[in-house]
Amino acid sequence: MSARPVALKALAAVFALALLASACDEEGATEADAADPDDFTPSEPIEYIAPAGAGGGWDTLARTTGRVLEESDLVDVNFPVENHEGGGGAVGWAHVAGQPGDDHTLFMASPPLILVPLSGEADHDHTDFTAVSRLITDYMIYGVPEDSPIETVEELFERAADADDEDEFAIAGGSAPGSMDHIGLAGAADAAGVDAAEVNYVPFSGGGEAMTAAIGGHVDAVVTGVGESTSQVEAGEIRVLATSAPEGESPIDAPALQDEGIDYTFDIWRGVMGPPDMSPEAIAFYEQMYADMLELDEWAEERDELGWIDAYLGHDEFTEFLDEQQEEFEAVLDDLGLLGEAPDS
Amino acid sequence: MDALQDLAFGFTVVFEPFNLLLVASGVLAGTIIGMLPGLGPIAAIALLIPTTFGMDPSSALILLAGVYYGAVFGGSTSSILLNAPGIAGTVATSFDGYPMARSGRAGAALAIAAIASFIGGTIALIGLALVAPALASVAVAFGPAEYFALMVLGLTAVTSLSDTGLVKGLLAGTFGVMVSIIGIDLQTGTLRYTFGMPELFEGVDFLIVALGVFALAEVLRLALQPQNESQEAIGSLRLSRRELRDMAPATGRGSLVGFFSGILPGAGATIGSFLGYGLEKRVAKDADTFGKGNTKGIAAPESANNAAAVGSFVPLLTLGVPGSGTTAVLLGALLVLGIQPGPLMFADRPEVFWGVIASMYIGNIVLLMLNLPLIPLLARILRTPRPLLLPLIIVFCVIGVYGLRFNTFDLWLLLLFGVLGFLMRANGFPAAPLILGLILGAIMEESMRQALQISGGAWSVFLEQPISATLLALAAVSLLAPPLVARWRQRSRASVG
Repeated sequence: MSARPVALKALAAVFALALLASACDEEGATEADAADPDDFTPSEPIEYIAPAGAGGGWDTLARTTGRVLEESDLVDVNFPVENHEGGGGAVGWAHVAGQPGDDHTLFMASPPLILVPLSGEADHDHTDFTAVSRLITDYMIYGVPEDSPIETVEELFERAADADDEDEFAIAGGSAPGSMDHIGLAGAADAAGVDAAEVNYVPFSGGGEAMTAAIGGHVDAVVTGVGESTSQVEAGEIRVLATSAPEGESPIDAPALQDEGIDYTFDIWRGVMGPPDMSPEAIAFYEQMYADMLELDEWAEERDELGWIDAYLGHDEFTEFLDEQQEEFEAVLDDLGLLGEAPDS
Repeated sequence: MDALQDLAFGFTVVFEPFNLLLVASGVLAGTIIGMLPGLGPIAAIALLIPTTFGMDPSSALILLAGVYYGAVFGGSTSSILLNAPGIAGTVATSFDGYPMARSGRAGAALAIAAIASFIGGTIALIGLALVAPALASVAVAFGPAEYFALMVLGLTAVTSLSDTGLVKGLLAGTFGVMVSIIGIDLQTGTLRYTFGMPELFEGVDFLIVALGVFALAEVLRLALQPQNESQEAIGSLRLSRRELRDMAPATGRGSLVGFFSGILPGAGATIGSFLGYGLEKRVAKDADTFGKGNTKGIAAPESANNAAAVGSFVPLLTLGVPGSGTTAVLLGALLVLGIQPGPLMFADRPEVFWGVIASMYIGNIVLLMLNLPLIPLLARILRTPRPLLLPLIIVFCVIGVYGLRFNTFDLWLLLLFGVLGFLMRANGFPAAPLILGLILGAIMEESMRQALQISGGAWSVFLEQPISATLLALAAVSLLAPPLVARWRQRSRASVG
């Protein structure tokens, strides 16, 4: 048998596939009116973006959700993760903002999407993107080394406020001033009646390093995420005075700030967003997809191992939540004198 | 005896056939990735993470760790043969490795690197098994003041890396520190030297500068040079007895320095190799032949970076603090596998901790058996015709740099530093101090300001802490002693004669 018939057959098969594909496209285009999740189905792999390098929080969220979705029957396309690193997220955000209307691009978001633009260090803020779903949250811990004389979170803020050059009191956090850990600390101090600008916040690169500094006695207290602190807290090296969870919802064996009479909560939320001008059908589809994903057993398993807490919000509520966050953070940054020039001006 | 029992338990984990297979494939993949200039273990580990899902956590970590220390092992190859560091930790190896290869002894240089790597890794493993639980407290004892003092001590090596004159060396070192400042300042959140370019917000990656000023600059130099030198000779693998005798103490010192750097999460393999090289050059009687192909100048950094790679598993597993980009990716992998590194690792997950430690013994032996026979084959790279070899080096540099962040901006930086490195060399400025300033400068500045912020601005904090005071005293001695000793020698010679 010669090779020619085989080649012809292959050619015919390609044509048939192409016809089929175009038929599907037409079908998709003629329908699509109301924003019903059934009106949209992703037709190509999703550009699934973590605006940071491998190994961080955004990357972990992208890889975990991508894997759970690929293994589920909620969606038939793949979610290859792309790391667009740089500018504390700004490089990745600029990339996504440059593809308006693209229904096959999604990226991971968390408080820095609000904080970095407020410091004047990014050209885009959350209003330039489409909120899809908030997925999970984590809270802050306010902790001291295990042998510290400080017993309550109220005492912690008193000491922080009384400190002066003679009597130093330093609180370590895992990120730069004006970013998450600092905001979580300053907001709580403010709610406790302490001038947040008076608190000596010492930034380290990462919650792990901040806790190490506290355990070694180099600083007096530490503020970081619950998830990051688990191992040192369970080992008894760090004693948690309070968490930033809402009243009665503290995820670990320590009170929430609100339980201690300090009216403040801080969410380290994480969610998924898309480029500007996504179609309503696509938003509805992804919203539903993530809501269904949170119900899966495979998700529950991954979530528990990573110490995350489900905190789902759909498109509308998530958008509203982001606006509130921006307002709140803007006030705290203003108090701290860290507000940058407004972006997009 | 407890430690030996734990280690024996670790070996029972490794000797499962599947895990043995993982050790072998992990180190093989790692050593190949390490050999290719510019391609580091970070991307390789990130790519392998999905394959570990469903594996037992200890098996997964055995595989991923193998890629890491395998890459550090193999990373010396391209440093020696091409002056293009395979990974960040092997930059210092090129100082003496490349001149040695060019003088026709590539085989011997690669053999020294392999043997020193093996010994460094093994010494660190013995240290790890004996005192691992106590090591976490050493890491914790290092706060900002201590890190600052350690970095000052490290920077004093600029004097010994400045072969072409101290002033030019200091200028290069200062420029390196300035480059390290680029980006968002951790202490205030202020942008420094970024000129509004978001690509610079997170600073200039060390590897871009290293590949630029070493590999690319060398390519430029070779391309502009008439092709008359014969560097085809690979030379025998054999080392003379004298060389072996010289190598032993250098390897021992390098291993200790490296292991200690590895334990400190703020230091790691790259800093460890520079500290090892600097120390060796300072204690050597033949210091003037360093940088020209001294075997000790290969043995010290190679033993140090492998010891540091092993040592870096202490802060990673017992504190959950990664000391480098690679260990940060490993930390991410551990979390996804459901393992929370921390002080309870020994007690809660002994099969993971001791399994990985034991796997490294096996992995190191596999690496030595793998690398030694490959040397004649690898060294043949030097016989590649120059019109083919030079473009290949450029291609690998470009792939390596692009793979860091998938950003073309970094490629322009690579070109910039390549031209800079070429101009520096043409005008007698040494490149090594620039690299040293770059890796130490950022941590030095950051920890100095953290320490001052904690102390309320009191500079005495650096002298009140015993560890920091000792390190600063050592730095002062290492700066002042050589000229004083030289003067004293001169005087005594004069009085004798």
